[in-house]
Amino acid sequence: MSLARAAWRAFVITIRMRVISQWSYLTWLVFPLLFTAVGLYVLDSRGASSSHLVYGVLGGGLIGYWSVAYIDAGNGIQDERWNGTLEQIFATPTPLWVILLGKVCAGLFFGLLSFLPTAAFAYFGFHAVLPALDPWRFVISLAVLTLTFFCIAITLAPLFALWRWVFAMINGFELGVYILCGFMFPIAVLAPWAQGIAALLAPTWAVKALYASTVAEGPHDFALWWIAAVGLSLAYLVGAYFLYALVEREARVSGELALA
Amino acid sequence: MRRIGLEAAVFARSTFLQYIALFQWATIRGYIAYKILLPVTQILFFVELGVYATGRQNALYFALGNALQLSANAGIFGVIGTVANERQYGTLPLLLASPANRLVTFLSRAVVNVIDGIATVVIGLAIVVLLYGLDLHQANLALLGLCVVVISMTTAGLGLMFGSIGLVMRDAIIIANVVYYLLLIVCGINFPVSRLPGVLQLVAYSLPLTRGVQAARDAAAGASLASVSGLLAGELAIGVLWALGGYVLFRALESWARRGGLQEAY
Repeated sequence: MSLARAAWRAFVITIRMRVISQWSYLTWLVFPLLFTAVGLYVLDSRGASSSHLVYGVLGGGLIGYWSVAYIDAGNGIQDERWNGTLEQIFATPTPLWVILLGKVCAGLFFGLLSFLPTAAFAYFGFHAVLPALDPWRFVISLAVLTLTFFCIAITLAPLFALWRWVFAMINGFELGVYILCGFMFPIAVLAPWAQGIAALLAPTWAVKALYASTVAEGPHDFALWWIAAVGLSLAYLVGAYFLYALVEREARVSGELALA
Repeated sequence: MRRIGLEAAVFARSTFLQYIALFQWATIRGYIAYKILLPVTQILFFVELGVYATGRQNALYFALGNALQLSANAGIFGVIGTVANERQYGTLPLLLASPANRLVTFLSRAVVNVIDGIATVVIGLAIVVLLYGLDLHQANLALLGLCVVVISMTTAGLGLMFGSIGLVMRDAIIIANVVYYLLLIVCGINFPVSRLPGVLQLVAYSLPLTRGVQAARDAAAGASLASVSGLLAGELAIGVLWALGGYVLFRALESWARRGGLQEAY
């Protein structure tokens, strides 16, 4: 019960901090809109099919959702480091993962907001809609996608705590994630080796299912895609279990957390 | 003559010191993350998006545009950070109290970033040659090089303007992000400017990059200096105007901060 209360408090505080943060509005509102604009201009070329435009409608939202999800976990740790509160978090009896649980859930909540401005912009700016939306499959795919983002954010977070440079690297590779997960175009256009790497990323399968639920044509192996996404996510969590143990040990043994 | 020599010395010292003090992020890992990984993935993302939308035959259009737009990585992010970080690091009062020539001090902030911008574009072009087989045999390489230098300078001019605004904002990096990605939309990087609504076309031609990228595309196709001189002159003029605007704003904000004692307001 006390753990749930701690996670809830972390969730509430993160939401409050996001509401007053200018950076937050950049990630869930401005950034997705800019990508939606570029995406729709490129995808809305002469003779483009409706399935092309679907990537413009949802792509910006997916980019915003992902950015908020991983940044909340990553910056959540960096902010604690810069504010000088990282040691206190490690010193409390509440496990680190509980605090991060609240932080990441708050990030996911804000990230979901990204779909609202981008869908509105696509509709009013480009008259672009989702042509053949299957609501139930769409909702389930979005839920599975949320699970994959949650698991990745929770798994990456201890790395951010251990090594400051990890955040810079993942931030630098942000557009690489857009490519490999097929946020704005199908991964089928990539080279076979890149598709192989993409297949190891849980969001790739969830995104595939999400797009398939909006168009009539193409394969619709939803069950397979959902299972792949959930299975990979659970595998990440197993890895996260060992990472958290490593972080707890390193943080307490070396005492160099703030300097990492 | 002695006066010019002294100002040149201030310019050189200021350039060196701002490099030492404000490029603290440029560790090997930081450089790899933001100057290698980010450019590579940006080019790959937009090229693959373009290929999906318009076909493999247009890959070079997207590749070249995005490689050139990388100059804004240094010109916008770098310059805005270099100007605005003075406030964040608490060194703005010292800068404002110094007797150094403001114009020299101000312009020196862009120098390292212009060089960095050129390096980033070269990296980007090398990636495009390697991954997408950009054929530069027909290209006017000297002119293409000139275009890269001009674009790096003009985007730094825009960066100086928004860096000055950053002096009164807490999170200048937010402006940098918005401006950087706005350039991707309006400057003809991924689709022709003619596809934008009329108002946005006006915005496009009042910004750096638009003419420069067009000139560079022409140079890559083998155009001569005479045929793109108008575009390059326009690009330079726009860059100078933005830099001057930034300087005027910088002086206005300095005066405002002095009167209100707001140099350290955060």
